[in-house]
Amino acid sequence: MSLDTLVLLVRMAFRNLFAARLKTLIVGSIVFTGALLVVVGISLLESVNDGMNRSIVDSLAGNIQVYAAASKDKLEIFGNMAGFPDLAPVPDFPKVRDRLLSLPNVKAVVPMGINGAVVGSGNVLDNALERLRASVRSAHRHPTPAVHAEITARKALVRRMVELLEKDLLAAASISSDKAEDAITLANVHRATRPPFWSGFDADPLGSLEYLENKVAPNAAEADMLFVSYIGCDLEAFRKSFDRLEITDGTFVPPGRRGFLFAKFTYEEMFKVKIARRLDRIKEARETGGRRIATDPELKRFITDNLSQTHDILYQLDPLSAATVERALQRDLKAPDLKLEAVLAKLLAVDDANFSERYRIFYADVAPAIDLYKVRIGDDLTIKAVTRSGYPQSVVVKVYGAFQFRGLEKSALAGSMCLIDLVSLNELSGFPTSASRAEIAGMRKAAGARAVTREAAEAELFGGGAGVSPSGETPKTPASGVSVAKAGPIRIPDKLEGAADRRMAAAFTPADLDRASVLNAAVILKDPRRMNRTMREIEALSAREKLGLKVISWQTAAGLLGQLVLLMRIVLYVAVGIIFLVALIVLSNAFVMATLERVRDIGTLRAVGARREFIFAMIVVEAAVVGIIFGGAGAVAGGALVRLIGHYGIPATSDVMFFFFSGPRLRPFVRPFSVILAAVLVLVVNALSAGYPAWLAARVTPRQAMGAEE
Amino acid sequence: MNPIVSVHDLTKEYRLGNVTVPALKSVSLDLQPGEFLAVAGPSGSGKTTLLNMIGCVDGPTAGTVEVDGEETTKLAERALTDLRLQKIGFIFQSFNLIGVLSVFQNVELPLLLQRVGPAAERRRRVTGLLDRVGIAAYADQRPNELSGGQRQRVAIARALVTAPKLVLADEPTANLDSVNGQMILDLMKNLNKQEGTTFFFSTHDSRVMANAEAIVRLADGAIVDRVSPAEAGLQPAG
Repeated sequence: MSLDTLVLLVRMAFRNLFAARLKTLIVGSIVFTGALLVVVGISLLESVNDGMNRSIVDSLAGNIQVYAAASKDKLEIFGNMAGFPDLAPVPDFPKVRDRLLSLPNVKAVVPMGINGAVVGSGNVLDNALERLRASVRSAHRHPTPAVHAEITARKALVRRMVELLEKDLLAAASISSDKAEDAITLANVHRATRPPFWSGFDADPLGSLEYLENKVAPNAAEADMLFVSYIGCDLEAFRKSFDRLEITDGTFVPPGRRGFLFAKFTYEEMFKVKIARRLDRIKEARETGGRRIATDPELKRFITDNLSQTHDILYQLDPLSAATVERALQRDLKAPDLKLEAVLAKLLAVDDANFSERYRIFYADVAPAIDLYKVRIGDDLTIKAVTRSGYPQSVVVKVYGAFQFRGLEKSALAGSMCLIDLVSLNELSGFPTSASRAEIAGMRKAAGARAVTREAAEAELFGGGAGVSPSGETPKTPASGVSVAKAGPIRIPDKLEGAADRRMAAAFTPADLDRASVLNAAVILKDPRRMNRTMREIEALSAREKLGLKVISWQTAAGLLGQLVLLMRIVLYVAVGIIFLVALIVLSNAFVMATLERVRDIGTLRAVGARREFIFAMIVVEAAVVGIIFGGAGAVAGGALVRLIGHYGIPATSDVMFFFFSGPRLRPFVRPFSVILAAVLVLVVNALSAGYPAWLAARVTPRQAMGAEE
Repeated sequence: MNPIVSVHDLTKEYRLGNVTVPALKSVSLDLQPGEFLAVAGPSGSGKTTLLNMIGCVDGPTAGTVEVDGEETTKLAERALTDLRLQKIGFIFQSFNLIGVLSVFQNVELPLLLQRVGPAAERRRRVTGLLDRVGIAAYADQRPNELSGGQRQRVAIARALVTAPKLVLADEPTANLDSVNGQMILDLMKNLNKQEGTTFFFSTHDSRVMANAEAIVRLADGAIVDRVSPAEAGLQPAG
């Protein structure tokens, strides 16, 4: 076909399309919509994918995760329905790390392990006791009337708390099966509620405090346990590799120290006094979500809940601080006649008009008098986990602070994982640490234990090596550890009594860290775009050097979460598919109609010598013109829309969206891929839709030009 | 001289359900180059069928048609199309101009199909013809802006632009008033004389027949006779 003919065909197409303006407009708008949807949809989807990529990669996973191929489960960073995966330790991690770091694209390797455990959510009784002890101490130094008044107030608070505790325990005992233990506990607590205990308090304040702290308060802790997920890792390496991490409260755990860092989101959601947390959420909903108390059922419920739970605050106030809070609230709420409970209720009965002021008053008058968080920064936290072999293990670590990932502040997912040092995690998982190894070695030495093989155990235990070991010798290096003790009394070294303290030692050495078991490791890449290649390199390296590693991408490591983007992609593609299918049918129909309407024209063209190809091309060119003009316009409009959206950003309105957007706003940009795909789709759909009518048109005979009247 | 068209024993039957309707019955006819020949007869006598057979837009049931020495019944569809393009011009009763193209483009179309180039050459030939048929002033207008007579002039220009050996016209004046009809016939006669183009046109209008050199009279699908207008009792037209 010559250029002149093509020009003629295009001109005819334009004129035909213009002649049937309305139809062209309808058909065109479908093509336009299709192209627009492809460009906008794919750009948004890829932006979300990018956002999630950044969220997952930057907050926990790194670009690649490696773990032991011998593991029973697959690694899923965020866990799954069944909890956390059962992973085997990576064999000889220091070697693995060094080998991985030898790859050119590997920037860092962060050893970690993911687990969840129960922690005491803090204990208001402990805190009350601590304050009482402080008062007692200061009375010892400066016995002023004010301090004595403070002691009396704090004593009253503790007494009330113990009484409430007794009530809770009695209720719990009625449904418990362990009657014997309950009886002891109840007796201990009951003693601390009796008048003689309190009348004797001043005579021996420290002894009484010790009794309360050791025999009473621990029972309160049992009542309120929370489950937290944490990553145990080389904290220093983690901080260096995940640079979106920022400390919001307290400090980072100093190098070589054991320590715990709360994820800010978890800390706020689970450990903050509920009333304060609800006020925070109302504030946030009003400010960033544009929601109103008057119209929002959830916010209304928050207020109802706050009003019914004022005792959470009252419970924490001793008579002195209660009086202080009462006075402050009476002044600020201009309600001089209301008692504390009433004035507190007045404070919490917020509406859209007074919220900001009430919020300020809460944090000015009430918050300083109470513990806002159940566990305070600087407190020791008791973590109780079940080890891999099934026995309970607990570790006490200091809470150094709270952290968040920049841009992911509001994300529950990114904020679900707290951080703990690797050595403590090892203990919680029941892996031997250097301290426990030393302890076992010490016990063996003290007991005169030595290791024998399983095969030789019988002979060793019952005497006479003959019949089991032909030589009668005991192998020097045992294959599996069965300890055999020498006969005689077992001497336990004095040192052992301090084992518990030593285990809780706040510091560890770099060697301890190196010896720690590692369940998985995040591999951070210099160039994330070369992830697949680097994964293959790691796999090859692992095979070559028998490192026994399994290598997965961040998407796989994110488990279900990683599949979400895939799911969204499927939904989008199905939607695009449907739009284009509709476009295909409508376009095809329109061109068939156009062909039928032009039978005489086509017949005339055939009569004056136009070949079938010319007629076929005429319809195809017409479809192509529609596709190029409307599809092109759709793609350009889509691009402009994406840019517009990118300019303003889509606000994240839920915590999940924060994670998907990797920040408070999604700022999508146009992907060349989406434009190319839109172009290809439009052209393919047009070609397909024009095919049948074009074939039909090519079959019009010249004779059909003759009969028809004008 | 070899005839430009040679029709031999041509039979055409149409099937309407189970009934076979004969349209042409053993028609034999020769057209000499430069003839200005009318085919006449009442409606349904087979005039249009005969033109369609000669114009290669329909195939016979039996018999042969030779156009410029080529036996069309032996040619494939594509070759027939090319034969139409190269050697035959068509003039339709209802003009059959392409509505979305201008007058100029309508006339240029066969040249484009023939791949005549460059554009200047096409322009020269198209404007030359438009001039000859007297509608050069309307070159840029669309057919629906023209009168019937003007449109048929455009159709004549389109039929002649490739300088075909044969022009077939099916009732070219049937949709025109007598004044315009006569003007079209005069134009055709002029072109026949000046270019030597063979014209073969159908009509049932005796005033039109009077313009022909000879009249082939058809009745019920068979040739009755071939007479001059005088022999048919017609006053030859100017």
